[in-house]
This record gives sequence, structure tokens and C-alpha cells, in this order.
Amino acid sequence: MTPAASGEAPAVPHRLIGARVPLVDASLKVTGRAEYTDDLRRPNLLVGRILKSVHPHARIRKIDVTEARKVPGVAAVLTGDRYPRTFGVLPMTHDETALAVDRVRYIGEGVVAVAAVDEETCERAFARIRVEYEPLPVYDDPKVSRNPVAVKIHERALRDTNLQKEVFQHFGDLPGAWRAAAHSVRVSARYAGVTHAFTEPHAVLAEYSPDGRLTVWSATQVPHYLHRALSEVLDLPMHRIRVIKPEVGGGFGGKSDPFPHEIACAALAMETGRPVKIVFDRDDVFYTNHGRHPTWNTVGIAADALGRFTALDVEALLDGGAWSSFGTVTTYYNGVLAMGPYQFPNFRYHGARAYTNHPPSGAMRAHGGTNIRYSVEVAVDMLAEEMGWDPTELRLRNFLPPHSTTVNEFRITSNSVRQCLLAARERSGWREKFRALPYGQGIGIACGFYISGSNSPIHFTPKFPQCTVHLKVDMDGGVTVHCGAADIGQGSKTILAQVVGEVLGIPLDRIRIAAVDSDTAPIDIGSYSSRVTFMMGNAAKRAAEDLRRQLVQAASDLTGYARESLECGGDRIYVRHRPQVGVSFLEAVHRAMEHTGALHASGSYESAPMGGTFKGARAGTAPAYSFSAYAAEVEVDVETGFVRVRKVWAGFDCGRPLNPQSVEGQIEGSIHMGLGQLLSESLNYRGPRLMNPSLLDYKIVMPQDMPEVECLLVGEDDPEGPFGAKEAGEGPLIPVLPAVGNALYDALGVRFLDLPITPDKVLRALEEKERREGRLSKPAPPAVMPVPAGGTDHAPR
Amino acid sequence: MHLDEFQLHQPESLPEAISLAREFAGQFDYLAGGTDLLPNYKMHLNPRPHLISLDAIPELHRFSPDQGDLGAMVRLREMEGSAGLASRYPAVAQAAREVATPLVRASGTLGGNLLVETRCFFFNQSYFWRQSLGFCLKADGDRCHVVPQKEKCYATFSGDLAPALMALDARVRLMGPEGTREIPLTDLYPRDGDGIRRTSLRAGEVLEGVTLPPPVQGLRSIYLKLRVRPSYDFPELGVAVALCQDGGRVSHLRVALGGLEMVPRRMDALTDPLVGSQLTGESLRALGEAIRSAVRPVHNTFLAPDYRRKMTAVLVRRAVRSLTEGS
Amino acid sequence: MLREDLGLTGSKRGCDLGTCGCCTVLLDGVPTLSCLTLAKLAEGREITTIEGIAPPGGLHPVQKAFVEKGATQCGFCTPGFIMTAVAFLRDHPSPTREEISRAVSGNLCRCTGYVKILDAIEAASRAMAREGASSA
Ligand SMILES: Cc1cc2nc3c(=O)[nH]c(=O)nc-3n(C[C@H](O)[C@H](O)[C@H](O)COP(=O)(O)OP(=O)(O)OC[C@H]3O[C@@H](n4cnc5c(N)ncnc54)[C@H](O)[C@@H]3O)c2cc1C
Ligand code: SF4
Repeated sequence: MTPAASGEAPAVPHRLIGARVPLVDASLKVTGRAEYTDDLRRPNLLVGRILKSVHPHARIRKIDVTEARKVPGVAAVLTGDRYPRTFGVLPMTHDETALAVDRVRYIGEGVVAVAAVDEETCERAFARIRVEYEPLPVYDDPKVSRNPVAVKIHERALRDTNLQKEVFQHFGDLPGAWRAAAHSVRVSARYAGVTHAFTEPHAVLAEYSPDGRLTVWSATQVPHYLHRALSEVLDLPMHRIRVIKPEVGGGFGGKSDPFPHEIACAALAMETGRPVKIVFDRDDVFYTNHGRHPTWNTVGIAADALGRFTALDVEALLDGGAWSSFGTVTTYYNGVLAMGPYQFPNFRYHGARAYTNHPPSGAMRAHGGTNIRYSVEVAVDMLAEEMGWDPTELRLRNFLPPHSTTVNEFRITSNSVRQCLLAARERSGWREKFRALPYGQGIGIACGFYISGSNSPIHFTPKFPQCTVHLKVDMDGGVTVHCGAADIGQGSKTILAQVVGEVLGIPLDRIRIAAVDSDTAPIDIGSYSSRVTFMMGNAAKRAAEDLRRQLVQAASDLTGYARESLECGGDRIYVRHRPQVGVSFLEAVHRAMEHTGALHASGSYESAPMGGTFKGARAGTAPAYSFSAYAAEVEVDVETGFVRVRKVWAGFDCGRPLNPQSVEGQIEGSIHMGLGQLLSESLNYRGPRLMNPSLLDYKIVMPQDMPEVECLLVGEDDPEGPFGAKEAGEGPLIPVLPAVGNALYDALGVRFLDLPITPDKVLRALEEKERREGRLSKPAPPAVMPVPAGGTDHAPR
Repeated sequence: MHLDEFQLHQPESLPEAISLAREFAGQFDYLAGGTDLLPNYKMHLNPRPHLISLDAIPELHRFSPDQGDLGAMVRLREMEGSAGLASRYPAVAQAAREVATPLVRASGTLGGNLLVETRCFFFNQSYFWRQSLGFCLKADGDRCHVVPQKEKCYATFSGDLAPALMALDARVRLMGPEGTREIPLTDLYPRDGDGIRRTSLRAGEVLEGVTLPPPVQGLRSIYLKLRVRPSYDFPELGVAVALCQDGGRVSHLRVALGGLEMVPRRMDALTDPLVGSQLTGESLRALGEAIRSAVRPVHNTFLAPDYRRKMTAVLVRRAVRSLTEGS
Repeated sequence: MLREDLGLTGSKRGCDLGTCGCCTVLLDGVPTLSCLTLAKLAEGREITTIEGIAPPGGLHPVQKAFVEKGATQCGFCTPGFIMTAVAFLRDHPSPTREEISRAVSGNLCRCTGYVKILDAIEAASRAMAREGASSA
């Protein structure tokens, strides 16, 4: 399905934009030539390893490393007191240190860093380190942490509790709306923590040269934050630090904080004067975590007699683990992203995030929008059932219209959620299937939305753009693109090349995407919050347009035709109405460089001011939002409780898909990750202890269990997105969980409110239902079914 | 992750292997495909200073499913791809197909699978992890985290092939410093054993191979495996059934289970009484329930024990039913 | 060993325990986990890594299909998948989609949801059949 054309024909005919362009670095990846951090070699390289805390919560009385220093082959042994300055991804909540200082707060926290000739020598040194711990009370339950506690995990915790952050928001009159409601539901659900499980373990290589410069190569999503944190903790000015991002083997949010091991590695390099590399073992990756928060939430929705939503009431409690990380943002998101594609005139949110002695939670794909969306979409389904409505109809009645404002002052621009829902409903055969499939089989639907780039950059420097792109052209006619945005596999380099190529009308092989290197790349605030296509795309487009202006002027000088009559395309600049007249791209370049020898251009993106003035008003605001509606069909083995998802129809609005193949890849990958969280993945804690820090016991979905996926890209061009595009990196994950959850209800008549929904839980629920009701049966079909295909649906309000 | 230093020996004959075993008594492990042993060594789970690789011993690689004669070093990949094995001993071919992943099966062997280390989520963890909790009986420690009262290890036998082979009356050939013997596979796993004393192998004994009796006329067999994902995961339960019917009456029935307790076992006491009878929905249900109440899984694997017991009844029923249908 | 001593860094190190498949190489033509293979036991046997399957300056049909179908995103698992797929297609020239997903079920991918990987292997099998037919 193609996006509907919008308004006038674009100034430049789309040639690269909208094409299924393979990733520009794919040939390097398929030949094993792409270089990841662990592939880098330096002469005289040392291996760095970190001794981890075996205690979940303890005071460090003493660390004795004298014997470890004597082990032959050991070059440096570093403890936390050497660099005690705190850091963290959010400027307001710095509570991490490179290595534990005075206290450890989770099992796996770094205590001592060693650099030595090899791993075995590091281990030998570890065996000679004596750490005296004094155990402290262990907090492994946020429900305990939210109350007054004997020992605060961090001094900065609120009041006398272990809460890291609390949010209260109230818009309109919730109690009044609740009293007046004709229908209402309330859902409480529990979500296990899940983690990114990218295939490349964290890795960092650092080198300190005699001229006082530090170079750090790291598998990071946000080179800029790492750059800042290194500077702050190591007390080196930023201009003496160079951060380079090699290929990154997946991030999904798990490589977006600056990490202690990165700083420790740099410190070891400074200490030894030799390059040091730290590569994590897989279990270290699990202890480092920063995955999705274990969550308890409650959602109440009220509606009037006509089926219009009147109120949304949300509570969320998050297990933040030992550090703040992105937690303040997460706490906001779990409320403000609840409203989503629907209109609610009254809204209340109470959210809290607690410190515990678990490994830190952080940002994970569809950060803050996933768990709450499951609860909301299940609640909408329940409300539809209570009212006797078809759930698609109830949703259609309540969608936010395009170009509107939410009660908490989110500015909504393009919004094709209605088209998403209609497409998913139509393609899935909803009418024939809903409540009509045999027992054990079912279909469900759910919607979602997500920010297309957080409007408020984390490091907020006023009047500083969120992204800048430099283009440099030389005699050879190659266009080099310098950009700080990190390609972590999502394909942002390819988007850059497509955008620049499109504007300049040149083939992709003229374009070189320079590695992200802080010495040459302008600052970008990183690959998170699905901001890259939107913000980087706009910056790149502006840079390319600036360059185009210079080249068109040169072509005009050469041809004598006015600039306005010239067009770029086919590696030429030609006269629009006489295409045979023109100059080659290279001729224009050479002309433009005459007497200067240089040709470069820059572009940047800064989002417009938006959001209300209340506390926390910026959280969740974005220059655009993606929208979605998925239908899913499931089949359950009612004797064993195993769930098979047969097919997902993914209606998605990412504006104009710049590269449909990439968008599909994001949707398919998101479905994989979402189904994992829904059905099998969980960080299993027993008390403070993670029971499954391995890829054998952390159960990501296998190829045999992937459903068929039909992508329905039905968005319209977004007015502010580059070529009309919006995000497709995170939003696609959100609706799959509730779509399948609702399908399970259709199949079995059971609501699953404790994720992951493992087979044993399914079976237990069925047994309970049978005990209660005397039999197993499907829920009754609704009174209000959708009108037949081709008919009209309810008009928007 | 690194391996502690060890010395690798590569004998080219069984006598040579056994003399090495004698020389390094108590100081070595045999190494077959290494897919079980090497991960355990990397986690510092009872590593030994000597490894005796069995790879270079030609006769251990023999594979004659038509004679029911399988060398211990036969790769699972070869077993799953064998039409001969699949037609004569379907349960065994199916079980081989269900082990781990295709990549693991490329290296993993029959012998290694029968002798695979028992598993427990307090045991299959890095040294660091175990250090943090306190070491357990099975490696470096003196208590059990699963059943703390007892001085016994409850680690779960998690091999797939054993139940399949047991259901088909396989025997194993063992060679050691004290000579050669052949015992029923069921006897390889002592009933009074535990997660540590898990086989009846004598010091230095090599599992040389497996022999399967020729399938009697009309014998059918099947292996069903319970696990969270269709690949990677060890069995949370494995059910093998061999059945022969004669004019609607059971003439031979074996049910063997793995993935549940410290050793795999065959449920002859519960199946023998059915020989001579007609299988009905009722008798099948009763068999399932009887087996369910006879097994005692503990909570040291991914899925909870009560669920695994329930599934025992379900999979036994399904396995038998699928053999009776179609016949 | 491959990575450190021979500098063949195409095979990746994702877990060291046989649980991800990123380190897959061909050992005498059979896809094998290098993390669970002792170098000494591979002596005298033929090891093929991702660096060794393409004709000079070109791409193997499986590599080509991975590029064209968008089967690589972050790329870290890609060499492992490709080694598995190359051997699989050699032995099963016209597999069903189900057979393909079983065949790659020892390789983890966290980006693609496997969909485009399966697409690519299917496409490669067709391309190789065509090539085989035209060169025969
Ligand atoms: C990710 C992963 C998933 C797995 N999933 C499964 C699964 O689902 N089901 C399953 O059954 N297994 C599974 N395994 C375990 C293992 O791969 C298989 O059991 C395999 O068959 C073991 O064979 P091997 O030759 O590699 O054994 P090795 O590792 O070489 O040996 C295993 C043990 O047996 C001993 N041994 C081996 N051969 C002999 C012999 N001939 N004589 C005496 N002693 C011997 C060794 O000393 C060692 O103690 C998995 C492994 C991994 C890494
Ligand atoms: S059952 Fe007990 S003794 Fe055995 S491995 Fe598990 S914790 Fe250790």
C-alpha cells in the first residue's frame, strides 16, 4: 500500500525517497568487513576487566588491591575513589560513578577495574583483591521502597523513602467525570522487566596519547553523552577527548546511557598510557541491563452513554533498580503516553519510580510507552465488551483527530490512526473472525502512538539545535556527510544518503557517510526517542538544500539560465523545460569551487517550542507522532497453554516511508521483540538476584515462532517531517502486545494481566475459569458490529 | 570468558584412551562434542586439568542404524538426518532433531547427550553468580539451594535421547580399565542416584556405543518434548513412547521420561499392566494421571514443577494417542 | 583464536556459550560454533569463515540476497546467519520456508524478527537455482 499523495507535487520528484534502498553498509556487514568495537586492534593493547559486586547492597569498608598490583602482567588496578565524580544520562539525576564508591547497590556493579596483558591475568588479579563489605538491608520490591525505609539507596531519594521520582498530573475534573460516567472499567496489570538482548555485547576501547588526548571507541548509541560524561568524570576538557562510534551491534536503548565501564576503560588507558579494551561477557550485559522497568500499573477509563471516552486515570509504579538512568523520563512517559491515539477530556496520573537493589532499569525500545499501552488497550477492549460494542467501533469513535491538541497540551499534527485501524480491520477479515473463530482461536486489535523525536533534548542548551549535519564536497565530486547520529543498525546512514542524494539528484555512490567521530562530526543528541529520521533527516535535507543552492548558482553561471529554472537530477543540473540543456554534477562542483577550493554546507534542526507551562509539560511532547493499529490472530493449545501467533496485520503511520524496506524491517523486528515481552521474555529476579543472565535462559523468540507479518503503511505526509516522514523505530513495538493480549481474550475468554504470558500461566488461568464457570467458552459477540467493508464508519467527532 | 588451562589428549584408539584414563584417574573428563562440557568449563563448573578427546577414535564414529549399532561419537546432526534411523527408530531420530540447535547438533554427540551434565538454575551459572549466592553441593559448595534440608543434589537430567532410547530397549557398551560390559540403558542411570551421582559409570569408563534391538513387527515410537521455545531450550519434560498393538490390544508398551528428575526413567510398573488390554480413552487418561503422580520434579528449571507434572499426563496421552491413531 | 591470532574478525563473539550463533564458521563444510570448538581439534580440518565464501571482489548469492532483501540491520549476527545459510542451501537447494526457519534456529537475531532473513534465504535459493540452470 502506498501513502496517499499530499497536496502539491513535491518540488523534487522522489527518486531515492520512498525506494526500497538496501542499507548503504550492507555489503560490509554481509562480508564480515564491518568493524565493531571488539574487532579493533591497537598495538600494545591491554585487556580491561571489572570486578563486580557479589552483594546487592553493602557498604564498602575497605578495598585492598596491593597484592593484585603485584601480579605479573597487571598494568593498572583502579578503584572508585580515584574518580568519584557522579554522572548519569540526565543532568538532574547524576547518581552513578565509574566504579563503586563506598557502597555497592546491586549484584554485578563494578568495584575494581584491572588492565592486564590478558583476561587470565585480570582474573588472577581479581583473586588477590580483598574487599570488605558490610551488608545493608536489601530492597528488591518497589512497593517497599515507596514507603519509609531504614536505609536510603541514594541520598537523593525522595523524603524518607527510596523513591527516585514521583509525578502527579491532573487535567480537567477526573472525579467529576468518573461520577458522571455511563460506563467504566479499571485494569491492573503487572509487567516483568525485559532487556534489549542485542547481539553485540558492550565493548569499549580507549587510548591516551602523550599529547594529552583521549580517544574512545565505543559501542554507544549516543557518542555525545559519552563525550560529556568522560569530560566531567575524568576532568578533561571535551576538546581533548575524541569519541568514535564504530559499527554497533544493536542498541534498542540499551547503549544510550554513558556507562561506568566506558569511563573506567578510559581511566585505565590514562593510567597505563596504553590502549585498553573492555568487552563484556554476556552475563555482564544482563547485569548492566538498563532494560524496560518492571512495572505495576492501573488504568481506569470512563465513557459516556454514547461511547465517548470521558476520563483516563493512570497509576504506575516502576522498579528503577539501583540508578536513575532515564528514570525521570520513564516515570513521566508511563503516564503521558497513556492517552495516545484517543481523546480524553479528563486525565489524572500518579507515577512513581523506586530505587531498588536490582540492576538499573532504563530506556528500551518504545520507552515508557509499552506497558501502559497494554493496560490501556486491554481496558478499551473491556469497556467495549461491557458496552456491547465492537472494539474497533469504540476506538474509531474516540480517536484524536489530526491537527489537534490533547488535554495535556501535546500538539498533534499528522495522524492516520483511523486509516491504520481500518486497514488492519479490513485486511485481517475482522468481521468474519471476531468472536466467531472456534474456541482456542482468536483475533484482537490494538492501537498505539509514539513520539517522533523528543522535543526536549536531554542536555538542554538553549538555542542549540538537536541535530546538525555538515556536507563537504571535494574535487572528486564525492559528497561526504558528517553527522553525529549513531547508526546502530536501524539504517540511519542509509536515510542520510537517501535524503542528500534526493535533494542533490545524485546517485548513492557519490555519497560517503563519515564515521561518527567527535573530531569531525557536529553534535547530535543521539539515537533514542525515535528522533533520528525526523531530526537528522530534516538537518540533512537543509544542509543538502544549502549545497544545492550553491551548485545551482554555479550551473546558472555556466548555462546562463536563471536559478529558478534549474533542476537537480540524474547526476546533472538541467533546465526544467529543456532537460537536454544542463551541466553535469561534477561540472557544477568544479565551478562552485573555483577560487575557493572548498565547498561545504551545513543544516540543522531545532524543534519548535511546544507543550504547556505546568510541571513536566515538556515530557512526551514531540514535533510529530507515529500512529498504529495492529490486528493479531492467535491459536492456543488449550491443553498445554502454548500460544501461537499466526499473523499480525500491522497498520502503521510513519508519515511517508522514506525506505519502505527499512520500515518493514523495523516493524518486523518490533513484533519480534514485543512478542518476546508478551509471551516468554522476563528478567527473573529472586530477591535481588537475576536468575537468568544468559541467552539460553532469557527467552527471545525463535524464527519458528514468528508470525506472518503484513505491513500496512497508510500514513500521510507529515507537514514537518523530512519529505513527510515520521518515526518507525519504536512505535511499531507498542500495539503488538495488546493486540495479541486482546486476541487471547477472544480465543479463551481470559484476560491476561501478568506478563509474560507463559504457558503455565495460560493453563492456570484456564483451570481457574473452568472451576469458576464450569466450562470453557468464548466471550459473547458484541451487539454492535462494524458496518460491512466499503461502508462508512462513525464520523469523527 | 576463558577456559582454565588443561591438557588435551587425543588418543587414536580405545585402549589408548583407557590407559590415559588410568593415568589421569580423577583428573580428567572425556571430551566428545564439547557442547555441554565446554560451556560448563567456561563457567568453572568442576573443570579438570586433563581432557581426553574421543574424536580421533575411528570406531566410535560408526553409524549403522540398520544394525541398531551406534557409536558414541555419532553426531546428532547425522542422527537427525538419517532415513534409516527415522524409519526403524522414529523416537530416536525425533529426539535427536529436538536437541538444542542445528549448530549445537553439528558438534554434539550421542554419547555426550546420554551423559550430559544434570542441570539446575543455581548450578548453570557463572562463577561470579554462584559466588554471589554461595556455592552449592554440585560445584564448590556444601548445600543445596533447591531443597536445603537435604544433603542431596536435585539437578535435573536434561538429555533428550535417553528417554527415546530407553523406550526402545537400548543397551549401552561401556569400556574401562576394568573391562568391557554391556548394560541396559536404564541401568546407566541409578535409581538411587542424584544430580551429582547421576550415572553408574565406573571410574575411567568410556561409553563406547549404543545397541538397539531390531524393532519388532508393528512397533511404533514417538518422542515429544516440552520446552518454552522450539529451539535452544533443554527439555522441561521429554516423553518417549514405544507401542505395539496386536488386533487392538497392547502387546508392548514402554513409556520413558526425561527432563523431570535427576535421572531419566522408564515407567514399566505403570505400563506393564496395560499389556494385553485394549487402550481406551479412559485407560489412557488413567495412565497419564498415574504417571503424573509418580514423578517428582523440583523447581530448578524454567517452568514450574506442578506445570511440568500436568504436562506429563498430557504429553503421555498425546504420544500414545498419536501412535494408536494412524495404526 | 580465529579472531585474535588470525585477525579474521568477521565471525563475531556474542556469548561464548553456544547460545547466539554469531561465531558460526564452516568446519569441513558443516556450520559449527567456533566458541565451542577447541582450535587444536580443528587442526587439519578445513575452516571457512565469512571472509572466505565470496568470489574475489564479489558476493556469494546468499550475501547478495541479504543485501537486497534488507536481511541485515545491525549486522552483528549476519556473518553467522550467512554461514549457516550457505551450507544449508548447498544441502537443501529448494527448501520450504519452514525448513529454512528450522535451519537458522541456532542463530539469534534481535533486529529483523527473522522475516527478511528468511526472505533472503528463499530468494538466494531461487537465484542459485537459476544460476545453476543457466550454467548447466
Ligand atoms: C545452547 C545449548 C542448548 C542445548 N540444548 C540441549 C537440549 O535441548 N537437549 C539436550 O539433550 N542437550 C542440549 N544441550 C547439551 C548438549 O549440547 C547435548 O546434550 C549434546 O548432545 C552433548 O554432546 P557432546 O558430544 O557435545 O557432549 P560433551 O560436552 O563432549 O560431553 C558431555 C559429558 O559427557 C561426557 N562424555 C561424552 N561422551 C562420552 C563418552 N563416549 N564416554 C564417556 N563420557 C563421555 C563428557 O565427559 C561430559 O561430561 C545444549 C547445549 C547448548 C550449548
Ligand atoms: S539441585 Fe541443589 S545441589 Fe544440585 S545443582 Fe541445584 S542447588 Fe546445587
